[in-house]
Amino acid sequence: MAKNLIFKILSPLVNVKPSELKVSLLLFSYFFLVIAPYNIIKSIRNASFLDELGYIWLPFAYLLTAVVIGFVVAFHSKIQVKISRYLLITFSLIFFLFTCLIFRIFSDYGWTGLPIIYWVWANVFIIVLNTQFWIIVNDILNPREFKRLSGFFISGGILGGIVGGGLAGLLAKTNVDYDLLYLAAGLLILCAFVVYLIYRWQKRLQTVERKEDKKGEEKSEIPSKPGFRDSLITVRKHKYLRLIATIVILTLVVSTLVDFQFNTVVEESKGGGLTRFFGFFNAGMMVIAFLLSLLMTSNLFKRYGVRLTLLLYPLVLLLCSLGIGVAASLFMAILIKGSDKSLSYSINRSARELLYIPISPDLKYKAMVFIDMFVDRFSKGIGGLILIPIIALSLPSYELYIRIVSVVASALIFGWIVFTTRVSREFVNTVKQKLSRKWERADQVIAEELDMDYTKLVFDTLESKDRSLDLYAMHLFDLMKQGRLTPELRDLIAYDTEDIKASSMGAFFEVDHTPMMQATDAPIHEDVLKKEIQEIMSLDVYQEVITDYVDKVLSEEGEEGEVAKMEVAKSIGFLEPSSPLVERLENLLLDESPDVSKYAIESVARLKKREYVPLLICKLHDPSIREDASSALEKYGIKIVGTLADYLGDEEEDIELRKIVASVLARIGTQETADFLLWELEENKRDLDTALIDALDRIRSEKPDIEFTKKIITTKTRQEIKTYYELFIEFAKTESEGKVEERLNILYRNMSRTMMNIFKLLGLIYPHEDIVKAHQNIQTGTKDSVAYAIESLDNTLHKEIRDALLPIIEDLSKEDRLKAFLALRKNLPKF
Amino acid sequence: MEIHAREKDDIIIFDIEGEIRRSDVSDVTLHQLVKDQLDGGKRNILLNFRNVEFIDSFGVGEILASYISTHNLGGKLKIAKISKKLYLVFQVTMLTKVLEIFDDEELALQSFIAD
Repeated sequence: MAKNLIFKILSPLVNVKPSELKVSLLLFSYFFLVIAPYNIIKSIRNASFLDELGYIWLPFAYLLTAVVIGFVVAFHSKIQVKISRYLLITFSLIFFLFTCLIFRIFSDYGWTGLPIIYWVWANVFIIVLNTQFWIIVNDILNPREFKRLSGFFISGGILGGIVGGGLAGLLAKTNVDYDLLYLAAGLLILCAFVVYLIYRWQKRLQTVERKEDKKGEEKSEIPSKPGFRDSLITVRKHKYLRLIATIVILTLVVSTLVDFQFNTVVEESKGGGLTRFFGFFNAGMMVIAFLLSLLMTSNLFKRYGVRLTLLLYPLVLLLCSLGIGVAASLFMAILIKGSDKSLSYSINRSARELLYIPISPDLKYKAMVFIDMFVDRFSKGIGGLILIPIIALSLPSYELYIRIVSVVASALIFGWIVFTTRVSREFVNTVKQKLSRKWERADQVIAEELDMDYTKLVFDTLESKDRSLDLYAMHLFDLMKQGRLTPELRDLIAYDTEDIKASSMGAFFEVDHTPMMQATDAPIHEDVLKKEIQEIMSLDVYQEVITDYVDKVLSEEGEEGEVAKMEVAKSIGFLEPSSPLVERLENLLLDESPDVSKYAIESVARLKKREYVPLLICKLHDPSIREDASSALEKYGIKIVGTLADYLGDEEEDIELRKIVASVLARIGTQETADFLLWELEENKRDLDTALIDALDRIRSEKPDIEFTKKIITTKTRQEIKTYYELFIEFAKTESEGKVEERLNILYRNMSRTMMNIFKLLGLIYPHEDIVKAHQNIQTGTKDSVAYAIESLDNTLHKEIRDALLPIIEDLSKEDRLKAFLALRKNLPKF
Repeated sequence: MEIHAREKDDIIIFDIEGEIRRSDVSDVTLHQLVKDQLDGGKRNILLNFRNVEFIDSFGVGEILASYISTHNLGGKLKIAKISKKLYLVFQVTMLTKVLEIFDDEELALQSFIAD
């Protein structure tokens, strides 16, 4: 009941599904309870440091933090190998809870060194707890879920920042008020409880998954716990991880420089009430971050993708950095720090975490330990090292420090932009690598693995043995002529040797091979036999004598006549194309026996006489010899493409015949055939579309160099997408009316076919392999591989196509999909 | 040639009897029967050749066309119980490299489940 109410409240704001509600709320609360105490701690940190030591010491604090973090990371790595993730997080929370109280006690003694120790501790606090939170997020969500839900739970963190900062601002009684640490400690206790709830939820989920695994589902990877050295080696080994690390370094060095500029200006401009100022400032920053996160993060990703969203943060900071360099006022300091932190907590955090998603859980965990915990603080140390020589210049005014720091920051931001462009390119590649090809186009596999002509010839040879020994001899001669009478085939043919023994064909089996039977005459060599037969057949006298015989056979009827015609049809294929006997093929082609026609078709294909092309095309009607006719037409190749195109475009021709002509054109597969098929597609005769698209897809699979006119493809893709919408709308309507299942089945089949057409069309203009992989994974993949497939398409397709296609393939409820289709049907933009 | 279809564990089994020959083609070919099943959403097809004596090149074309249609939709087409002689022909022509052939029906059915 309460769950339903929360879902009703949240669903208009967040794209959350009912099954994700619990975990989304838990992650929201977890992040809230990490960031809220941190903002209280941070306000005291800045106030105490500036109050006791001043901005001049900041670079040393950055450096010291980096060194301490190095040890913390090493310690964290050692511990995490020994205990479970849940225990590690709980222990960390307990540790920070107690140290929080210890700092409160020690603050009463007024030690000068306390602010610097507290500074370092506060940074360790956020590094450890923040990293642990994101590790949990990465364990739980896939990229699509992350894209949908990240805005929500990041808002939880930001809300925590607002509450924490706001409470610090409201409750601070003195310039530096350590009493607020009690409040932070209370929030940490709540955080430990939320972590326990997440752990319980995860355990229950794993039990269900284990049960599913037993049913044969794909097993999820369980990440191993890495040590620091292992993490370092992992990042060094992988280019993509190195790029992420470089960006994190550049981001944080710039952020440290910005922090220095901000604190310097605040110290110079503000008198008292530092905890209050930092509390309200942090809260205000978080309000902006909250609004950005809630209203913009998801939309930015959706609209501009990862590439452009990643660039937003450095571009804004570049402008602000140039601004504070020109005017070092409190306003500019608040603006640059505000931009830095609000963008860092909202868009940048989501974008950065998204970069980790396509990496395997094991790699990701290792990389996160190193990058988020070590590189993060190490970068602050680099920031400190950059600032120390600037401080050492002992400049007459703080504005000069700000200006120099601005120049350095701008240069670094430039590098940051360059690496961001590179990492976003690698991100797309990494997502694509997550997708495996489920199957190859089977006709391509067959073409690569089999010699179809040879296969058919072998079967026909064996079959001919039962028909007539003459026909059988012709087949053997054919095999020999082609150099295909291999020892294996001889063995096969000799499987039943009785026939062979009784015939004169023993000669075929004695050459270069152990004789399988006793030959009556001297052995005949293959090449001699070939030459002799060719010579006999080219003799004028042979032609004369055999013509009379052929004419007699052509006039015969009945079963005997059929076999004789088959022999004639076969033997004409051995003649020269100029032989007058070749003319008899027309009669044989027209013979009502499919076996006779088949042999005639084969001979026509050998001789490639153009005048028989229309007859061959006619033969495509007959299912018993369709494949033989297609194969014969394919052998003519490019020279009959025009004729085939005429048939394809002739609306008076039978539609089934035109579909087969499309497939013959695809088998010929040249730029010209592709152009003809495209022109026909442009004509928009819907009955032919599926056959045309399949033919084009075949050409694309086999000849990647062939180009396709983009405009025709995009127009047709749009049309197919619209058809899919219409079919789905009709399906939903038919279903709601409780109509017969037969109609639903037809609609379902049409939807599947349309979906197939859409992807085949996309494969013509986008990288074919990427589109095929995405489609196959959407069809048969697991939940995660479907998510990666959609992510890959999201980064490959143009915006208009993407916006139109994603509602078809995204994991949406039937109602949401229907709503989306109804809206898009009316306003689908032109591609 | 006669073809009878039956279903077991979401696998369509075609029991073929006689010879798959060009001269023996009826109105509905083997390929058409397979395509009908694919249209109906079935993706696992088994051709039972227990009663098939011989096939000609037309028969090979039908089997391969059925294989292509099934595999291009992400399905599987397998063959069971072909005669020793036919298997030899399949070997020589390398059809065994492409087609999955099983000695008996049960083994073939298990292989679908294992996939």
